[in-house]
Amino acid sequence: MTRWIQIYRAQLKVGIAAMLQYRFAVLIWAVWGFVGPLISLAVWTAATASRGGSISQGATTFSRADFAAYFLVFMVFSHLTMSWDAMEFASRIRDGQLSPQLLKPIHPIHRDVAANLAFKIVTSAMLLPVWGLLILIFKPTPPANLWQPILAVPALLIAGVMRYLFNYCVALIAFWTTRVDAINQLYFTLDSFLSGRIAPLALLPLWLGTIATYSPFRSMISFPVELALGRVPPSQIPLGFALQIFWLSLSVIALRKMWNSGIRQYSAVGA
Amino acid sequence: MMRYLKLFAVFFRTSVQTDMEYRADFFTRIIASLLGLLTTVGGLSVAFQYTATIKGWSFAQALVLLAVYYLMDGLIETFIAPNMRQIMEQVRNGTLDFVLLKPVSPQFLATFRTVNVWRLANVMVGMGLTVYTVGRLSLGVGAAQSVNFAITLVAGAVIVYSLWLCLVTITFWATRIDNIEQIVWQAFEAGRYPIEIYPAWLRGALSYVIPIAFIITVPAQALAGRVGGGFIGISVLVAFVAVMGASAFWRFGLKHYTGASA
Repeated sequence: MTRWIQIYRAQLKVGIAAMLQYRFAVLIWAVWGFVGPLISLAVWTAATASRGGSISQGATTFSRADFAAYFLVFMVFSHLTMSWDAMEFASRIRDGQLSPQLLKPIHPIHRDVAANLAFKIVTSAMLLPVWGLLILIFKPTPPANLWQPILAVPALLIAGVMRYLFNYCVALIAFWTTRVDAINQLYFTLDSFLSGRIAPLALLPLWLGTIATYSPFRSMISFPVELALGRVPPSQIPLGFALQIFWLSLSVIALRKMWNSGIRQYSAVGA
Repeated sequence: MMRYLKLFAVFFRTSVQTDMEYRADFFTRIIASLLGLLTTVGGLSVAFQYTATIKGWSFAQALVLLAVYYLMDGLIETFIAPNMRQIMEQVRNGTLDFVLLKPVSPQFLATFRTVNVWRLANVMVGMGLTVYTVGRLSLGVGAAQSVNFAITLVAGAVIVYSLWLCLVTITFWATRIDNIEQIVWQAFEAGRYPIEIYPAWLRGALSYVIPIAFIITVPAQALAGRVGGGFIGISVLVAFVAVMGASAFWRFGLKHYTGASA
């Protein structure tokens, strides 16, 4: 255990130093993550205005301020759970950078996890004032109750780990094909609809909303967001956590299986 | 002028020859592009389920805008972005020297050297969507509208080119600006939707600082026959001023370029 703490402390130190070296680029990347939700917010704000103040489907109603709350929380949770390994892994295989990493005595994923955490530590410090400003500008609805936002904390933790592992599984597809652009785009498309990025899941067409509820993508972001806003019907909360645990376990198993068979298949370019 | 056209033809041919080695990339790009389209169209259609118009734009009109967005996006990724990325790289490691030594305009050689052929997939998707939406709107696009659309589209492309050239020129002073293009893409991303949905201050920035209005909105409106001749004149004028200004800035920047070992 102490060994792992030491390893991660060292890796984090390196990671943070690297992030600070490229602080401008890192900040641009981080702000980039805010743009998408803000555009969605603008679209829904305009739509709400055309509907005379609120949009509802079934029992769900969203006012302008509700949308603001939803997308402001969404952008933060999306940031805290983000990862970029799927975009990077293929090029690591293509230009052979993976080979030296395999020679090290620890699994390469630990270095990636540390880099991911370092990115979040550094950028969250930079983004906090921006987010505060956005709250002042958009005046979102406060959470409907206090106990659900507390439950959002463990949900967010599970979501972060799960989204990371899931994304890493997608990255590992590169062992079998290095042409991952279309795969990544597919992942992004599914993520856009099913994680709640373009619209709160409750406002999706019913069939799509149902798919989304059971898909891994809701567990990755939308479920913790709904909790933080206090909008999950209490009877649905156990199901939400159960699904999260289910998808988390599945991604751990998938990652192991994919890594073990992928690494056997891997041969450095030029070998 | 003829000489430059011939040169460009040669550049295009060599790019095609290079990219033919990666034929399968074309299908990857088409699939990726269609999926991207599905995401945006789907997102729009969810919002339009609840209302017939958003800030005066109907779903079909918003789709025309989206089509122009994809068309422009494809043109940028095919012709403009690969060259500009290359210049930044060349400034960083000093190989821009070799470009400057050639007996043609350095700006021409640097900015038209490569064509990312398979990105034409995005252009094709954009064109397909344009034709489809025009049919769906039953706009009855006549010759005048087509000409206006072509003019404003070219003007928009010229404005994007100028903007990008300015950004690249900044690297003569600040070589280590990683991801500077992300800033442009962020603004560009906002152009997927009618700019009327944004708050006034942002609308101002999108119209005048990074003129998304002239790059995407005006061509889309020209296609729908919603702009008069005056606006088309202004669009051409803006493009002309932009490219002249950018070109002057580039030449000024070149004087500051010192090469690799200097």
